[in-house]
Amino acid sequence: MDGQVLHFYLAGINNQNFIMRDKETGTWWQQVSGKAILGPLKGRQLKRVFHDELSFAIWKREKPEGRVLKPDDKIVAANQYETADWETRIGKMRVVEGVDVDKRLAPRTLVLGIEVGDKSIAYPLDALKKQSPIMDVVGSTPIMLLLGEDKRSVRAFERIVDGRRLEFFQKTEGSAFQLLDVETASTWNFEGKATSGPLAGKQLKKIFVLEDYWFDWRIYHPDTAVYELGLR
Amino acid sequence: MPNVLTRFSNWTTTHRKLSWLIFLVLGLAIVTIVLTPVFFIMPFKAQTPRILQVSLTMRSWSPWFTLAAAVFLLAFAVALWRGGRWWSRIALVVLVLPALGATWLARQNHFEWMFNPLPNPAYAKVADASYVDSEDRVLAVTIGAESVAYPIRIMAYHHVVDDTVGGTPIVATY
Repeated sequence: MDGQVLHFYLAGINNQNFIMRDKETGTWWQQVSGKAILGPLKGRQLKRVFHDELSFAIWKREKPEGRVLKPDDKIVAANQYETADWETRIGKMRVVEGVDVDKRLAPRTLVLGIEVGDKSIAYPLDALKKQSPIMDVVGSTPIMLLLGEDKRSVRAFERIVDGRRLEFFQKTEGSAFQLLDVETASTWNFEGKATSGPLAGKQLKKIFVLEDYWFDWRIYHPDTAVYELGLR
Repeated sequence: MPNVLTRFSNWTTTHRKLSWLIFLVLGLAIVTIVLTPVFFIMPFKAQTPRILQVSLTMRSWSPWFTLAAAVFLLAFAVALWRGGRWWSRIALVVLVLPALGATWLARQNHFEWMFNPLPNPAYAKVADASYVDSEDRVLAVTIGAESVAYPIRIMAYHHVVDDTVGGTPIVATY
């Protein structure tokens, strides 16, 4: 922030979303938004770094030279890290009473939250599991949501190449994950890159996807739309 | 106030009553400023923006407030101890202890008791990362030529990890 490097630590929780504090200024920051809610830097916004949520298998195939955070031996010994079934367990946890309830989805529904311009939209993960890729238009931006070969990792892209709008479908034959675009029949991979065909070498622009529980996404995006299969 | 403290030997009953009042108010203030945020900022409780602002403000001020108040509190406790009857001395001890406890708590981060921080995170090469299963999910960041994976099962415990990727200082949080 303003050339100063801040170091963060866990300092609280706000309606089940953590609050961090920085050691340098003592400002309090909301985890999900990166916004300063109290303290000397109140109102300031941390710049979001693009990230993916991927299964390890996909990530290490794409980034064999990468580095992986190591666990703390003490916490391993104390057996305090989450177990492999953590997601099922957390999914059953209760949601705080008193947050503004929006009945369009159950509070702990996993949604894929996307913001394009001033529009935000939540895609239930289950909808993508039924139909992938999902073609949509948010505002005036044509986008695509994509489920990975592990049936769990998700990515989103703008489906425009050189001003041309593309439609995609997933190739079903063969075991490797492949997309085809209807317009040129080029093949594309999960990274949004054309691997063969007329558009080979082209890269679709990535869109940040926040995987979140519906209740949390709704708190920070009160005007969000909800995607429903078959409605568009 | 120095007047009260230095001439405790000549205290009248009014002086003592006033000192007890100040002592009790100080003790109550110390405990309140520390315990209010602890009480309101709990994981499974709803926080309104107002409660959050008040709680975090109290939390910001509590380290120095409790220290200053505790100094006065102890001064009054010492003054009241002298010339106090046995039952009032017991009352002093019983009331000073929670205030000192709260002063100590104002210097602790109880969220980091629940989730130990990872102040010096270590990293492994992909080939050495056998502690991550293929199906485990990771938060993946690439900046410039550098790529990092933060396994979610590790992040769901520590929640906050500071790092520098591709020369850019970042915080990874889950």
